Amino acid sequence: MPSLNLDTSFTDEGFHNVAFHRPQPNWLKELRQRAYRTFEDLPMPNRSMEEWRRTELRHFRLLQFQAWSPHPEQAPEIPSQLIPRLDTDGLIITLNGRKLESRLDPALGQQGVVLNCLEDSILNGWEELIRKHLFSILDWKYDKFAAMHAAFWTGGIFVYVPKDIRVNKPLLHVAALMPGQADVGHTLIILDEGAEATVVSETVSVDPSASSLYCGGIEIILRPGARLRYVNMQNWNQATFHFAHQKAVLAERASLEWTLGALGGRLAKVNQHLVLDGPESEGIVNGVMFAENRQHLAYHTLQHHRTPKTKSDLLYKGALQDQSHLVWRGMIRVEPGAVKADGYQRNDNLMLSETARTDCIPGLEILADDVRCTHGATAGRVDEEEIFYCQTRGLTRREATRLVVTGFFQQVLDRITIDSVREALTDIIQHRVREYRG
Amino acid sequence: MGELIRVCRVSDLPDPGKAVFDVSGRMIALFHVSGTFWALDDMCTHDGGPLAEGELHGYTIVCPRHGAQFDIRTGQAKTMPAVRATTAHKVVVKGDEVYVELNEES
Repeated sequence: MPSLNLDTSFTDEGFHNVAFHRPQPNWLKELRQRAYRTFEDLPMPNRSMEEWRRTELRHFRLLQFQAWSPHPEQAPEIPSQLIPRLDTDGLIITLNGRKLESRLDPALGQQGVVLNCLEDSILNGWEELIRKHLFSILDWKYDKFAAMHAAFWTGGIFVYVPKDIRVNKPLLHVAALMPGQADVGHTLIILDEGAEATVVSETVSVDPSASSLYCGGIEIILRPGARLRYVNMQNWNQATFHFAHQKAVLAERASLEWTLGALGGRLAKVNQHLVLDGPESEGIVNGVMFAENRQHLAYHTLQHHRTPKTKSDLLYKGALQDQSHLVWRGMIRVEPGAVKADGYQRNDNLMLSETARTDCIPGLEILADDVRCTHGATAGRVDEEEIFYCQTRGLTRREATRLVVTGFFQQVLDRITIDSVREALTDIIQHRVREYRG
Repeated sequence: MGELIRVCRVSDLPDPGKAVFDVSGRMIALFHVSGTFWALDDMCTHDGGPLAEGELHGYTIVCPRHGAQFDIRTGQAKTMPAVRATTAHKVVVKGDEVYVELNEES
């Protein structure tokens, strides 16, 4: 990689070098400056804060990561699971948060569909639309990482589908990270009225064991009647720190199928926020989590019903082996007047070792009458009788464990409507399951 | 035998005393009681609380969150609400230097 004689870390000097002094409109500069001041003012999250009480951050060293670096002269190999599997209408690959290459079916481009680097899009004709929506739904003051993201983001991706346009095949975003680097990219997806699309995002580490940092934000805006299938497959290596704020806002009759794979990362802390902001909007959330070794994956979800006749249905399933730790904290909030809301959330966990730990905390805040909201959470071990039965049919203990674990995930995998994503998730899980010793 | 990782000097920790160290990415609570050092994962097995922020009574550390007690010599849980031991690590003192050998099994 070319050497750089500049401070590009998450410091005051780094902020000016990386984020402030770059080609951008003044409004964005000012937004960054406000966010940087908030980043400086806010303390690093610690375990006295309710949302962080189960997440250990004391070993996290922010200054070991670079917020920006030039792309290497020769692009590294990107070990994507989805590029070979997915038949797409468009592909964008980012390295350390910034575009490496992209392509989009020209016919879609002519119809006004955009799949490009967010920063480039601001400078090339999309400024007004992006200005209106960038950080319009994501609260960059929420915590230190949200503010850091808003101050330092570079690159990113922008997806726009105009009114009544249907994108048939998935648009794929592969985000790759190099050792010691940070991806602070922002994803902005806007589907105009009646538009339909599938967007799949996959994260991969170029190096299988070197530490990197992701501190990103995702904003999804669905206008009336828009339909989006969105997949976010987090599959970093197990040395990467992952901090993410993700939010989708659905207008009336909009629908979102949001699938999340939580597979990689040494430590992941994700806030996933679904807002049903228009009558008859509907969100389905699927979570597939698999943790091993000393991974710590913490997912905080919020299903926010703001208007009448909305529906949300969340199912997270997690399996844990070794000394891993999964945290899921879910909330359904129904605002006053959001009558006839139908909210459901469930989190099931399968413990594959004695030393793994899970904390699952569902919650409801119902401020309206005439709603239907239910939730549930379970944690349990593999049934030895099931393993024994499989072994009597000729399977090894490891094969039996794989079969049981796959069966456990089947309920959530069946809800994923993109075959290649379902197959990739199944393969990754099966590859990682070791022999169960209860 | 695993790798010995230096954490501090003997004189860095009063007797009785406790401190937390980042040892290869794991937060380890180190205790100094009656001339001997002991090390545990700095994590209560009940709610993940930071043990070393609690009070030390003899060989017992009390979790500051819900009062679970652990024996610093073995990591064994002594009272509810904790029911599982927290991980204990081997400590070796060489001269004035204190080393920890991480228990990777649990």
